[in-house]
Amino acid sequence: MQEKKDMIILGIESSCDETSASIVKNGTEEIATVISSQIDIHKDYGGVVPEIASRHHVKNITIVLEECLEKANMTMGEIDAIAITYGPGLIGSLLIGLEAAKTLSWLYQKPLIPVHHIAGHIYANSLVQPLKFPLLALVVSGGHTELIEMTDHYKFKKLGGTLDDAIGECYDKVARVIGLEYPGGPKVDKLAQVGTPTYKLPIPLKDDSYNFSFSGLKSAVINLAHNEEQRGNILNKENLAASFQKVAVESIVNKTKKAIQDKGTKYLIVAGGVAANQGLRNAIENLGNQMNVEVSIPPMKYCTDNATMIAAAGYYAYLDGRVADLTLNSTSSAILK
Amino acid sequence: MILYIDTSSNYLYTGVVENGEIRKEIKKEYGHRLSEVTLPEVVSMFENTGITPRDITKIIVVNGPGSFTGIRIAISIAKVYAWTLKVPITTITSLEAMAVSSEDDTVKVPVIDARREMCYAGIFSKDNEVILKPCYISYKNLQQQLEKIENYKIISNDGEKIQLNKPIIESYNPDIARITEVYKHKKGINPHAVNPDYLKLTEAEESKLI
Repeated sequence: MQEKKDMIILGIESSCDETSASIVKNGTEEIATVISSQIDIHKDYGGVVPEIASRHHVKNITIVLEECLEKANMTMGEIDAIAITYGPGLIGSLLIGLEAAKTLSWLYQKPLIPVHHIAGHIYANSLVQPLKFPLLALVVSGGHTELIEMTDHYKFKKLGGTLDDAIGECYDKVARVIGLEYPGGPKVDKLAQVGTPTYKLPIPLKDDSYNFSFSGLKSAVINLAHNEEQRGNILNKENLAASFQKVAVESIVNKTKKAIQDKGTKYLIVAGGVAANQGLRNAIENLGNQMNVEVSIPPMKYCTDNATMIAAAGYYAYLDGRVADLTLNSTSSAILK
Repeated sequence: MILYIDTSSNYLYTGVVENGEIRKEIKKEYGHRLSEVTLPEVVSMFENTGITPRDITKIIVVNGPGSFTGIRIAISIAKVYAWTLKVPITTITSLEAMAVSSEDDTVKVPVIDARREMCYAGIFSKDNEVILKPCYISYKNLQQQLEKIENYKIISNDGEKIQLNKPIIESYNPDIARITEVYKHKKGINPHAVNPDYLKLTEAEESKLI
């Protein structure tokens, strides 16, 4: 019997402020990854400035690709296919990776695999252990808060998502109110660990849907800080962080719990940058124990934006017959299908 | 064989030139569709002429000024191409391309509108020597500079609103054979260092300076 050939995929990701390239074998085995982060550049602006991000992507793209190939000790000739994040994300940023991927696909006559950024986050888990179906995926990041059901590889069904701000965005905003530098989300999490939830904040969107809403909570934190200042009270940052985190995490856990109950989920995966949040991790793990659901949370390096997850998702996308031609375009608001 | 690419305006200007002669060229208005069509158009140009990517011995790419997003499309394609196939590459500005494409009869002033009473412009002699280096300049200031010059012509992209007191404005039509001929010996640069030259900071950087 002929042995199945390995498939080596080069993944490229440039949807926000990280330029990344990665080489992954058979969707599960990371060979090499390079990530060029722009956090220090955007820090001065309190958040990602799209035009500045685009300018850095174009500067970095070939350097990142070259470093990745060197790290893998491979040449482009050894790559079987190119997987690219086509959306969603910042359009100017996405386009740099897209044009690079299209050019490589043409020059080396290799398949071009379009990967949805959220599919990437979900498939980050397959770098740790194979996905088991059916599964429920909780995607939490600076740009996304979504509950997605999967019945098989590349069979996605979005159950719900945020109606306004993403959870990570809300964390960063709260961090700014407390006076923490961008990206402040992880710092809020740290402060929350030592604080006590003494401030009263509303639990967002207590309804029957699987949707989330964080703009009201964000406003409540801003107003609370403002009112305390007006009254001449000193804001207890640790306690505010803990109060906010409690409500934010509770809102996510409640909706996830509802989805588990309704769908009879046995396997839950958490994905995206906010999956690194200790408060959320603990709460989700408790939920898993309580409901007898297996929980998989990828290691930190696969949670934040990276091309490894894109190459991993690209493998399964390819098996599902998803190959694009050179007219592939980026889109800032792609729907996961 | 030289590959030329310019996506700094609403138009795709690309061509393959061999021994000073155009093998194939494309000049087409695409506007916001440039990200989608540029590479397929380049590929079709190769396929229609039987040229393969490895036949190219030099890439000349326009690095701006113009549309920020547009410039990055050609630059991304060109730098990845040059890097991975080790093809010598060089950049020229859109304003230089505009100047050398125009007949050498008088002083040439290529102008690209940059909104808010600003533009990108350069002033070149009739022999294409630089008089005013490509820059981001107010129309008012440019007008003052031009008052010192007796005879000159404004060159601009078709359909662009140029706020200068000059009744006749020449519409830019790139002479890709001429452009590549003039710049074919321009020193090559490391593909990693091939980057747009926007001539303008981002708005976020500008407001930070205030």
